[in-house]
Amino acid sequence: MIFMQELTVVLGEKRILDRFSLALPTQGITALSGPSGCGKTTLFRVLLGLEPLQSGRVEGISPRDIAPLFQENRLFPWHTAIRQIEDVLPKERRESARQYLTLVELEEESQTYPEALSGGMARRLALARALALGGRLYLLDEPFNGVDPERSVRILTRIRSLDTPVLLISHERAVLDQCDQVIALDGPPLQVINP
Amino acid sequence: MKLLRVAVPLAVWLGVWQIAAIGVGQELLLPAPLAVLRSLLEQGRTAVFWQAAGCSLLSIFGGMAGGVLLGSIIAVMTVFSPWADWILTPAVKVIRATPVASFIILILLWVHRVYVPGVISGLMVLPIIWMNVSKGLTETDPLLLELARTYRFSRRNLLRLVYLPSVQPYFAAGVQTALGLAWKSGVAAEVLCLPKHTIGTQLYYAKLYLETPSLFAWTGVVICFSFLLEWGLNVLLKRRHGQ
Repeated sequence: MIFMQELTVVLGEKRILDRFSLALPTQGITALSGPSGCGKTTLFRVLLGLEPLQSGRVEGISPRDIAPLFQENRLFPWHTAIRQIEDVLPKERRESARQYLTLVELEEESQTYPEALSGGMARRLALARALALGGRLYLLDEPFNGVDPERSVRILTRIRSLDTPVLLISHERAVLDQCDQVIALDGPPLQVINP
Repeated sequence: MKLLRVAVPLAVWLGVWQIAAIGVGQELLLPAPLAVLRSLLEQGRTAVFWQAAGCSLLSIFGGMAGGVLLGSIIAVMTVFSPWADWILTPAVKVIRATPVASFIILILLWVHRVYVPGVISGLMVLPIIWMNVSKGLTETDPLLLELARTYRFSRRNLLRLVYLPSVQPYFAAGVQTALGLAWKSGVAAEVLCLPKHTIGTQLYYAKLYLETPSLFAWTGVVICFSFLLEWGLNVLLKRRHGQ
């Protein structure tokens, strides 16, 4: 389990997390769902060690164990799709880059640069890169933004077969229906509606 | 079409030059294009011509390469170390603001005249490269830097995958600007310092002996080299960008 205890984060004047506590399972697929701006992304950034905490602590996972997909794609404009994946793989695993493109149904676009990809394709490429990075937990912030529901479900099924726990943020019904647990949130400050 | 774009303006300006030369009527003041071409062909047959061109190219480009390297190193230092920024930035700004003529005379007091054109080229190039590389480094996408941190990139990969591609367009633009400046300031330094077997020295002698066609011919050589080098650099950069 990942334990978040009494987390407080203040950004500017705004109290995004106010003594927020939550225990998350480290198996299967867990979804966090809630309105935009409620603090879900801040919570992700806390798990990644990117947001300074005023108080509280996280136990059960270290930022180094997490493979994140950020809200923005953050692709390298100067590299082709296949190179984006190879960039995060160690030398001995570079051969497997293509299988991650296949996983997100982008094998035809291996030599395409990000600027030539549609919004949904670029999102899938960023997702493939996060999956290739690997770790003890996939932390995916709106991984299927701009991706059609049928394809999202197909890709999520393949991600499940990777046997690495997933914590994702999503608003899409089709995606949420595939998750083992859905935690509904509201805020700010962030609060759990259905524990 | 591409050939016409070069040939038509060239023909127009050669025509204007020819008419002006006929109007002036004195080769000492304004030689005709044919007289300049004749002088250039005569020079081109001598060993001195190629020696001068080779020596000037070597010393000016040696200096420019040094300026590019030093400018890049100082940019990295001033961006990443507040101490280096504090100490080095004012010095680079002073170099940028100092007139090239003052530098030539000062450097002539400190180093042998053979090295002055190279040192001057380097000094003129350094602030441009420093400014462009600094801009490239500071404008590196912070989201990519954050990604590199969370994706546990090694220092080598951070440099290879994030910083170098981000800085590359700024660096290329800096080198393109610096090239013309290095060449012109280098030749100016040669004219003032008169190192043996250089284009600047030949220019000076042409002026001294009132050989105006020769003066024009050497100026033409400087312009031709400038165009050729700019073209070569563009080809090189395009090829690199294509890769």
